[in-house]
Amino acid sequence: MPHISFELLFPISIVAGFVGAMAGMGGGVVIIPVLTLLGVDIKHAIAISILSVIATSSGSASAYIRDHITNLKVGMFLEMFTIAGALTGARITLAVSPRPLYIIFGLVLLSSWLALFFGSHALAHTGPQDKFTEWLELEGSYPDRVLGQTVHYKARRAYFGAPLMYMAGIIAGLLGIGAGAVKVLIHDLIMGLPPKVSTTTSNMIIGVTALAGASVYLMAGLIDPGLAAPVILGIAVGAFLGTRLLVRMSNQAVRRFFLFILLILAAEMIVRGIRGGL
Amino acid sequence: MTGDPKIRAGTRTGASASDLGETEQEFDMDAIVGYILLIGVLISLVLVVAALIWRWIDTGTLAFGYKLTGANLFQLVVDEVRLVMHGMLRPRLLLSMGIAMLMLTPFIRVLVSMVYFMAALKNWKYSLFTAIVLLTLTYSLFLR
Repeated sequence: MPHISFELLFPISIVAGFVGAMAGMGGGVVIIPVLTLLGVDIKHAIAISILSVIATSSGSASAYIRDHITNLKVGMFLEMFTIAGALTGARITLAVSPRPLYIIFGLVLLSSWLALFFGSHALAHTGPQDKFTEWLELEGSYPDRVLGQTVHYKARRAYFGAPLMYMAGIIAGLLGIGAGAVKVLIHDLIMGLPPKVSTTTSNMIIGVTALAGASVYLMAGLIDPGLAAPVILGIAVGAFLGTRLLVRMSNQAVRRFFLFILLILAAEMIVRGIRGGL
Repeated sequence: MTGDPKIRAGTRTGASASDLGETEQEFDMDAIVGYILLIGVLISLVLVVAALIWRWIDTGTLAFGYKLTGANLFQLVVDEVRLVMHGMLRPRLLLSMGIAMLMLTPFIRVLVSMVYFMAALKNWKYSLFTAIVLLTLTYSLFLR
């Protein structure tokens, strides 16, 4: 594996964290393609990325939880499934050859991209709560600062959301990303959570899911501390700056520009996977 | 069943109580969970930065050329504690501690949530769910 100096990898990771945050995704989806372009083996790149995912998701989840927007019960219930999925996914990564990983990475990035580009929140609507979801006590309320009032909501179809979250966990563990776009989609469309609750709760779930995946990669000896240090620090700094800027930004064009970068990365990963000779 | 205000405390509590015009002042679990995550990540980042600075002062380079081979988190932490006890605090030890701290952060969050569901809310359902999460993580992090 090539030696990449801290002086190079740190600024690159800041940019990766920044671009990821501006596009509304995590830093993982940017740093993995970049690391592989620098000559890092994709499995090592995945292992390092998943560590940085713990840092960024826990960091941003913290503020949302303290603001009482995150639903701890929804999080705890779904974490059972995402963790099992992440353990499965990480094992698969250890077992398979790199080429399918490139292709799957590209395809997942592409579908997350479509979900983000076209947006899904408008489709969410509340329906009657089923018995199972009611038994799970999956409901809540949060203070909405924009509306200036407390929003009450009831989740539904947890029986359907749970197995899908297992699949989302597989993707996260397999590719070393947060897979936040996939999780938010499940929360929104299947379980009918309000957008704010779904994004913030998914953020909390991402942290433990990444941890489950990271445990497998740690055991496999794929976590290289020398590479991990600049990546964790850089992505944390970049994501922090990106989220700050994103909150103040109303211009959709800028966000679309960053989404466009992700589209190129997705296409490039698929092409490399198909061509082989990595 | 959801009529009990305590049961709903996990999702709706404390600081917002005044905005909501509620009088009950509950134990603010959200704040504790939130701060655990924040402090854990900050400690971990500080350890990584300290390791890098020390490394740079020592050798003039920021490169670390070691591997964490086939260790589970438990072995990693035990080895680190042993080295610190022997006064062997070195840059690479600080870096490993930073990585271990990062991985312990979500784990501690789940542990504290379980204690909360068990002791404060006495919600057996969610105590069980959290216990399943905790056992799975404990197995994959410390026992394998």
